[in-house]
Amino acid sequence: MNNAQKKILVIDDNQDYLFTMKTFLTRQGFTVFTAPDGKTGIDIISNDLPDIILLDVMMESLYSGFDVCKFVRNDPKLHSIPIIGISGLKDELGISFDKDRDNEYFSPDAFFDKPVDKNALLKTIDELLS
Amino acid sequence: MSMSEKNGLHDLTFKSIIDALPCYLMIQDKDFNILFANHSFQKDFGSKVLGKHCYTILKGVHHRCPDCPVRDTFEDKGFHVSEELIYLLDGTVVEMLAFSAPLFNVIGDVVASIKLLANVGSIKNIHRELVTLGQSIALLSHDIKNILEGLHGGMYVLEEGFNDQDYDLSWHGLEIVKRNVTEITRVTQNILDSAKDRKPSFQEILPADLARQTGQLYADKAQSMGVQLLLQVNPDIPALEMDPTGISRMLNNLVWNALQACQKDIQKRKHHVHVKLDFYDDYHFMFEIEDNASGMDHITQENIFKEFYSTKGHTGTGLGLMVVEKIVKNHLGKIEVLTKPGRGSLFRIIFPLQLNAFLR
Repeated sequence: MNNAQKKILVIDDNQDYLFTMKTFLTRQGFTVFTAPDGKTGIDIISNDLPDIILLDVMMESLYSGFDVCKFVRNDPKLHSIPIIGISGLKDELGISFDKDRDNEYFSPDAFFDKPVDKNALLKTIDELLS
Repeated sequence: MSMSEKNGLHDLTFKSIIDALPCYLMIQDKDFNILFANHSFQKDFGSKVLGKHCYTILKGVHHRCPDCPVRDTFEDKGFHVSEELIYLLDGTVVEMLAFSAPLFNVIGDVVASIKLLANVGSIKNIHRELVTLGQSIALLSHDIKNILEGLHGGMYVLEEGFNDQDYDLSWHGLEIVKRNVTEITRVTQNILDSAKDRKPSFQEILPADLARQTGQLYADKAQSMGVQLLLQVNPDIPALEMDPTGISRMLNNLVWNALQACQKDIQKRKHHVHVKLDFYDDYHFMFEIEDNASGMDHITQENIFKEFYSTKGHTGTGLGLMVVEKIVKNHLGKIEVLTKPGRGSLFRIIFPLQLNAFLR
């Protein structure tokens, strides 16, 4: 299966970031969906069943990244969709994600701090999709 | 001749020394009656304080304080310290550090407690400023990092557009770059504005325009949060000299707080935030921001204007309402907060209609 058949959903409340990621991932051959908030993201997940989700954690919207992650993990039809959590708060506020420690309330398959290294992101997407 | 006689100190008594202390000193019995008060205390609270309850004199209330170092001293015969807000006769509220220590009789029972109160308002203000500064830098660096991320993204899109001769894409990339340059200009301006003693920039403006701008700014956001944002503006409020940046910041903070409170409230299915601009009376006008979220308990209500008091967990620093308070003071205004747990909250900001004359 090539990338074109793979559907990626990017959920982030920053429109510029969404457009940049859509441009980047489309050029890698993926079919890209974008959602500016958690609620829209959940609708797309339910209707279009993406192969992987890039999820901003700290969105100021009706459903945050934590809520979206919980929604996916609690639905037997969706729970195996890989999720890559993304946040920009590590350096400033000392917030980071530790898979072993934080898995109870937030369970992405991988986690990136902003600014995201695009090559490292692609490598992780390949690994999670393979 | 002894040293004290040589220095003219021989006629000093303990009482004269205690009276001269630059802090309040009292002696209280176990029922919190004031048995003795030094001169500094009587100067600020009047000479008829003896025999009266400490809490009545210092707090203007008729019930014992929940946290009282004197009570603790009577209980464990120990030395205690606490921070207290003291209400002076002229209405000023002063932050004080209270120390209590036991006075024993010959058989070792505590018969009274000394209470000493020192004004620490200026130290607390410096502390507040330092904490604010630290937190501001943390938030600022987060903002700047987001902008840099935007600039990098915009440049990437611009470059890809050039490479593919896709000018629509390049144009989009350029727009992203421009937006983020505007944003970093705003942030830089904010840093300059927040420098000490920044004077508000007053200009004649219609308060209705500012209310509408805030309404527009949050319309989409409110919709995505499932909250109905209602705007009701009295068009007869005249143009006034105000600091439009400050007033917009104030309204934005209050509306955003109300929207977040609605989002957090899981008890109701439908939420609204009502922004209103109207006359308060013949001499004043008001902004009201009302929500039907979960309201506030009295502890929250007492603390909301303090630095870093936040009920929002990781999404709130508590700075917003402090900023609001500062802006309101700059405009000689007043904030009223009406709230009921389970029902909602209303923030009413009242400004004089004669602002132009006052500020000139």
